[in-house]
Amino acid sequence: MAFPITPEKALREWRLYFFIVPALVLVGTFAYFPAASAIYHSFFDWSGGETKQLIGFENFRRAFGDQVLWNSFGTVSILILFNLFKMIPSILMAVLIHRVKSDQWQYIYRVMLVVPMIVPGLVTLFIWKFFFDPNLGVLNNVLDATGGKALLVWLDGLFHWGIFYADVPIGWLSQPELILPSLFIWGFPWIGTVGVLIYLAGLQSIGTEVYEAAELDGVGPFKKFLYIELPLILTQVRLSLVLLIIGTLQGYGLQLLLLGESGGPGGRGMVPGLWMYNRAFIAGEFGYACAVGMILFLFILGLTLINNKYVRVDK
Amino acid sequence: MMMQVSFKDNASFIQNPWAPTPPYTVTETIRTADGELQEKSRAARWGEVFTGAQASPDREVVAVAKRFDLSVYHMSNWGFGLKLIGPYIANTVFVAVTGTAFSMFFALLGAYFFARYKMPFSGVLWSAFLLLMLLPGVANIVPLFILLKDLSLLNTLWALIIVGVASAQVFNIFVLRNFIEDLPKDLFEAAEMDGAGHFQQILNIVVPMSAPILGTLGILAFLAKWNDFLLPLIVLRDKELFTLGVGLIYLDGEYVKQWGQIMAAYFIASIPLIVIFLFTMRLFVKGLSAGAIKG
Repeated sequence: MAFPITPEKALREWRLYFFIVPALVLVGTFAYFPAASAIYHSFFDWSGGETKQLIGFENFRRAFGDQVLWNSFGTVSILILFNLFKMIPSILMAVLIHRVKSDQWQYIYRVMLVVPMIVPGLVTLFIWKFFFDPNLGVLNNVLDATGGKALLVWLDGLFHWGIFYADVPIGWLSQPELILPSLFIWGFPWIGTVGVLIYLAGLQSIGTEVYEAAELDGVGPFKKFLYIELPLILTQVRLSLVLLIIGTLQGYGLQLLLLGESGGPGGRGMVPGLWMYNRAFIAGEFGYACAVGMILFLFILGLTLINNKYVRVDK
Repeated sequence: MMMQVSFKDNASFIQNPWAPTPPYTVTETIRTADGELQEKSRAARWGEVFTGAQASPDREVVAVAKRFDLSVYHMSNWGFGLKLIGPYIANTVFVAVTGTAFSMFFALLGAYFFARYKMPFSGVLWSAFLLLMLLPGVANIVPLFILLKDLSLLNTLWALIIVGVASAQVFNIFVLRNFIEDLPKDLFEAAEMDGAGHFQQILNIVVPMSAPILGTLGILAFLAKWNDFLLPLIVLRDKELFTLGVGLIYLDGEYVKQWGQIMAAYFIASIPLIVIFLFTMRLFVKGLSAGAIKG
């Protein structure tokens, strides 16, 4: 903890307050002020200029009747489910690396994990976008080569989806029905660097005696995972769970770049953040966008409070 | 993959996007409809490297010839890529370096303030900072845009720097405060006895002893700036000011894509990160897990 200080000494050290001023001014201007301004403007009919009109809760009433907004909350819940599923490979990967006996190899695997981080996120994103390209993309070529497409066409015939046809390339990002599946495939094999490193740090705190005891009892590798590793990294798993849910809920960069500002064909990829962006910068309805932002904020705040109450992260 | 595509032109890219082009050119002599002979060159397919050139099936080909040819590798793509993306990289380096430096400096001062003494009101200020961690940034972006407009910072790189510094403060101060509090108190006392001011204490005690965590936070800040595209997308209008993020989006949006050049540009965009990574790999691998735990 910091030193306790007597009031007299604190008076003599008044200059120390200057140390906090820059951070305080920056945070005040660029974080607190916009937040306050968002709350204020959500009660106005405002298109970004000087003129605005107080309309009370009209924006919120409109938002509650806004079909696009509610659909986007549905979409984002599905995306959260996807992302929960996508946590599994990272956990398995961390356990596998942790079980590598030689320290040197463990280090090499860690380095290999970190290497993808040097490719800028956007470049990764565009390369993935290219993977989905109907004519040249990897995905369609692999499906053609392995007969996966024939299978999809056959399934299509079976269930009458009307999505896959034998002689038409699959438009992963241009057919409304395929947008959610594409977002699911996105990022395969779903191993996130930061996630794996967090889990690894957790695994490292497991003492060797636990393993020795387990070995004496003749516990197999799978049970070891279930009864030792998983419970002991539960803290980290919960932490990344919370970060992931909140991140997915407010994220819209991926959808914006991949599908455009109206959420792709049929608006199937629309998420609340993107809808806010769309209203503000495309339609110019800044007041309404603020209201949408507030609703989203309340959702996230609720989740954070629940998380703080029930999910204790022990340091 | 980026590497190999970056040497192709569009024709050989569409013919074969996934493997490197073999270093041969096939020249086909074609008899056109009005009886004239016409020569056409294309990059060889991999099958033709071993068996000899094969004529394209759908044309009336008189003769085919294959020759060893290194010019199928279009080095000029790199020149174009650099020209496309060089200014964006310069802008991004400016924003990222300036932003990271300021943000580390202010965060260090702020963390020192919280960690050194329990000053009056520091508890209140601390909770004000922590409250901010709960606030999601997403609702802020619209008012932030208006605020930047009112400060006439719109369409400047300084907007990116200032907002970046401000938004990184809370996390950095949070991590650094924990770290500075764990430093031995005797060091500070000894320095104070010798008459060192607070700046000197920061410079001579805090900075050397917390170098690893400063480095990690610095790298994270740099990476975040390098990858950021939402804020620049909203703030920047002029093409000369584009940072990497917007620049890449802009490239992606062009109708006729020169894939070789784009891939070269992608690759060039990664080079600065590769350089940083080579120098700081240990810090990267260790620091990331440490930072992740603390945060």
